[in-house]
Amino acid sequence: MLLTLDILTTAAILFIVSIGLLAIFGVLKIINFAHGAWLTVGAYCAVVTAKLGLNPWAALPLAFVVGAALGGLAEHFIIRPLYRRPLDAILATWGLGIVVGQLVTLAFGRDVQMTPNLFAGTIAILGVEYSAYRLVALGIALAIGLLFALTIERTRLGLSARAVIMNETLARSLGIDTGRVRLVVFMIGAGLAALAGVLLTPLTSVDPNMGVSWLIGAFMLVMVADASYLALAAACLVFGAAQVLISTFVSPILGSIAIAVLAALVLRISPKGFSRA
Amino acid sequence: MAEAARHGAPMEAALALERVSSGYGAVSIVKDVSLSVGQGEIVALLGKNGMGKTTLLKTILGMVALRGGAITIGGQALAGLTPARLVALGLGYAPQEQPLFQDLSIRDNLRLAVPSDRMLPAALERLFGHFPFLKDRLAQRAGTLSGGEQKMLILGRALMLRPRLLLIDEISEGVQPSMVARLRGVLQAERAAGVSMLVVEQHVAFALGLADRYAVLKLGEIVDSGPARAPDAQARVIDHLAV
Amino acid sequence: MLETLPAAGRIAPPPRRRLAVAAPCVVAGLAAMALWIAPAVLDTFAVNVLTRSMIYAVLAVTVDLLWGFAGILTFGQAAFFGVGAYATAMILTALGATPAGFAAALATAIAAPALLGLVVGWLSFYHRSTPLYASVISLVVPIVVVQLIYAGGESTGSSSGLVGFDVLPLEIAGYFRLAALVLVLVTLVAWILVRSDAGRALVALRDNEARCAYLGLNPRRLQILLTAALAAVAGLAGFLFANASGVVAPENAGFLFGTELVIWVALGGRGTLLGPVLGTIAIDYLAANLSGDLPFLWQLLLGTAFVIIIILLPGGLADLVGRLWRVLPIGRRTRAAPHLVARVAAPEAAGTGVPILKVENLAKAYGALTVLEGIDLEIRAGELVSLVGPNGAGKTTLMRCLSDGTEPFTGAVAIGGTAITGLTPNRIVGLGVGRKFQVASVFESLSVADCLRLARAPHDGLSPVGQAETLGLPQAALDVLRMTGLDHLLTPPTRLLSHGQKQALELAMVVALEPRLILLDEPTAGLTKAERTTIGTVLKALTTGRGIAAVLVEHDLDFVREISSRIVVLHQGRLVLDGTVEAVVGSELVRTIYSGGAHG
Repeated sequence: MLLTLDILTTAAILFIVSIGLLAIFGVLKIINFAHGAWLTVGAYCAVVTAKLGLNPWAALPLAFVVGAALGGLAEHFIIRPLYRRPLDAILATWGLGIVVGQLVTLAFGRDVQMTPNLFAGTIAILGVEYSAYRLVALGIALAIGLLFALTIERTRLGLSARAVIMNETLARSLGIDTGRVRLVVFMIGAGLAALAGVLLTPLTSVDPNMGVSWLIGAFMLVMVADASYLALAAACLVFGAAQVLISTFVSPILGSIAIAVLAALVLRISPKGFSRA
Repeated sequence: MAEAARHGAPMEAALALERVSSGYGAVSIVKDVSLSVGQGEIVALLGKNGMGKTTLLKTILGMVALRGGAITIGGQALAGLTPARLVALGLGYAPQEQPLFQDLSIRDNLRLAVPSDRMLPAALERLFGHFPFLKDRLAQRAGTLSGGEQKMLILGRALMLRPRLLLIDEISEGVQPSMVARLRGVLQAERAAGVSMLVVEQHVAFALGLADRYAVLKLGEIVDSGPARAPDAQARVIDHLAV
Repeated sequence: MLETLPAAGRIAPPPRRRLAVAAPCVVAGLAAMALWIAPAVLDTFAVNVLTRSMIYAVLAVTVDLLWGFAGILTFGQAAFFGVGAYATAMILTALGATPAGFAAALATAIAAPALLGLVVGWLSFYHRSTPLYASVISLVVPIVVVQLIYAGGESTGSSSGLVGFDVLPLEIAGYFRLAALVLVLVTLVAWILVRSDAGRALVALRDNEARCAYLGLNPRRLQILLTAALAAVAGLAGFLFANASGVVAPENAGFLFGTELVIWVALGGRGTLLGPVLGTIAIDYLAANLSGDLPFLWQLLLGTAFVIIIILLPGGLADLVGRLWRVLPIGRRTRAAPHLVARVAAPEAAGTGVPILKVENLAKAYGALTVLEGIDLEIRAGELVSLVGPNGAGKTTLMRCLSDGTEPFTGAVAIGGTAITGLTPNRIVGLGVGRKFQVASVFESLSVADCLRLARAPHDGLSPVGQAETLGLPQAALDVLRMTGLDHLLTPPTRLLSHGQKQALELAMVVALEPRLILLDEPTAGLTKAERTTIGTVLKALTTGRGIAAVLVEHDLDFVREISSRIVVLHQGRLVLDGTVEAVVGSELVRTIYSGGAHG
């Protein structure tokens, strides 16, 4: 039972962390290395919120707005000039990640920051005492997933984004401003990443390099999902389960690299990953 | 032409190309092409594959960079305008290659061609006026339509926003004769309403039956042109196209 | 940059003793001497730091070869370095400072990363793998290695690393000189390699992987071997590092270190070797001096500089220096053109009566859409068969099925009696098939001579140390060059050629493969009338004169009529007509198809 809850909540957290990266990967076709930096920025929004004495949950909208604004600047000044050099764009986002990380360090110092718990205590569920926050995170992941799905499937922006993913040339010839779609999607992706940063604060220590440790797992999940959020959800469940099972029964250290290694093998065998299902 | 007479002033051509050259990378595809489409006129652009017809349309749309020359629509120069601006100026485009989002519903394909969802109901009404069969099939995936039905959807989509100038790329390709007749009917009705058209075709009889004038593109240059109704037009065009 | 080079009026310079090896050796010798003396004038801190910097610079050379030359953006060199360093530390901990201990440590520090490199290469490179995928794998490797170090317990020292093992009995200055020697040697070998003919193959891989495969080179094998070889070099650097510093830690293998290497190479100037070497030494040395006082600001500046350089100056600081250098009025030596010589073609096996190409009941579908159906076709030596038909008839798809056996199709395609199903393009080239693409597919940053030499690589090999003074080509390829004037344009990079010259060059490259069958997809698209006539003459000479079979996709029916020995008409995925030029030209069916009447 505990194991099932662990798997579900781990998958939920992975989903929260990767969804912003997925949006950017789908539309802009680049892996955003600054993703870790957005996570960090989000977490520090939680720190700021606490310092200002606000309700800890107020960090969520704050992080989304800050992340989206920074994302907009990054897209305009860094990603757009490198549109025709995708590998260089990836490198530039890594450089951006370093810059953001160092700015955070300059502003807040290198030390681990304390943040108020968003949701303390445990809940008895199905006969086990379980971390209340992890259950809340599960709910939040479902809510984010649902919102994301609604945006993609039901809104005009989502439709334009899908059109750009499927055939950018046709989208452009129909009069869709594809540059704007890229900008808005990048902003949303960065905003979602910052949001994820806030949601990570109860689970991990907050320091300027916290984002990096989540980066590779998110990369691999997104590569396997290949721009489909349903495939991402499936990948989070499968690889999250693998991580929990290997950590529990084999070794926590092997568990921590399970996602990266398994995803690499899946991609080697089936380059389209989970998206074909 | 009727409209020009009504206004009593010389009308600007609906579309005018002045010594236009364009291409990809080091390759020049369109070379020094001059061509005009009058108000309410249909001009058929004929030629075999690889002769630069589609590239010419894409150059007008701003999707292929203009190397030289000038393009105007109703007197306004197009240099630097995005396709989005051109659509707002009254340009409709029915592409040939990968013209639909196959995995999206017909409705979503149509939504993508209007700037805002508020304009969709009126646009759809217009579409159903031409192609009523689409009314009950909006939820269907575009890829499930037959080849001829897809061509109707592509044409209908280009007409939704009441364009004043239509660029049409091989709309009759792979379409059975009865459906070709329907496409022709729709285009003739639009012309009667004053819409100007540049129609790229390989189907000679269809093109000449529809158009007022024709031009033949060969290796990126216009090698022949004339009135479409001239008695020798068909023979001359086929000489350019066939072996 | 798009200007066309005039074909006439240039004569290949007389042969000259190549300095390909001599010049770098002299420079390397001088550098080694200077570095040998350096410890005498530097303070201990500088000697210590520079020793480390030079070891890192060895890694930068490997990153530059992979990324700057072969186009493989890698973050994985840190992992191989870490494996080498840990192998050294672990073996020396166990065996102590014995000769056997050092020998074993050195051997393992090189062999273990090389093996790992083979595995990583196999994972990263396969038919149709993407550069992005290879980069992502190279990120995973250091993370896995670091976690394994954590998991190693006492044997790896877990998170605190290993310290206190016996090291080579050298003074600080001794380590400095050893590192300098290794750096100079590695850079020298790399320098000679990239200036050699074999080094051109690396650039060719970066420029145009598909063309490499269609020249019969195996891009996958080259990439995997390169990865393994440079992993071994990184392991050697790890051995040095473990000895010189006396301590190894997980971050030596980490992905952050891997990204730092890429940053150094980018700032120094990818693809220049010396740029990354000097850049790495300068940045690491500066970092050691400055980061003590302003650690975060230093990283911030470095990150900002990195972003700006990537966007505005992709060639790095070396590019900037190079531009200044070119402004100076110093005579620069262009690479001399090799001498063209005729290579006698291997005698063709006596006509066995087997058709060169035999297609039986070929069909191909994309999902529900049938593109080709029931295609039967036989082509024999000396035939020039034109494939015509309207758009969407399936012509290009058919060409693809003939040259890439991994395309999913049904039915049988045999080249000279060998079925090609499942074979990758480079193996089909080995059966004697040359393919010319619709858009000229050459190597944009290589010279015309280098492009041709690569085309001969499967036959003649490539020298890894120098540049051959002669370029042996089959007479047919020489004819193509002569007829198109390219024989006077051997040295400029192909990106300066006109479109028509590129088409001619690609044709010459394909002919240089000595194929039995040439597939040409619209070889005259976008060419002038004169260029088309030349290509037509060349094709006729190849088929009727030399017995090569050719399949030609072409829209220009005048052209087709002039040169074909047979015409095959495709319409809506089916082969509707196969006959002589007269029969097809006079056919009512063809007229109907081309006037748009034949539908359904």
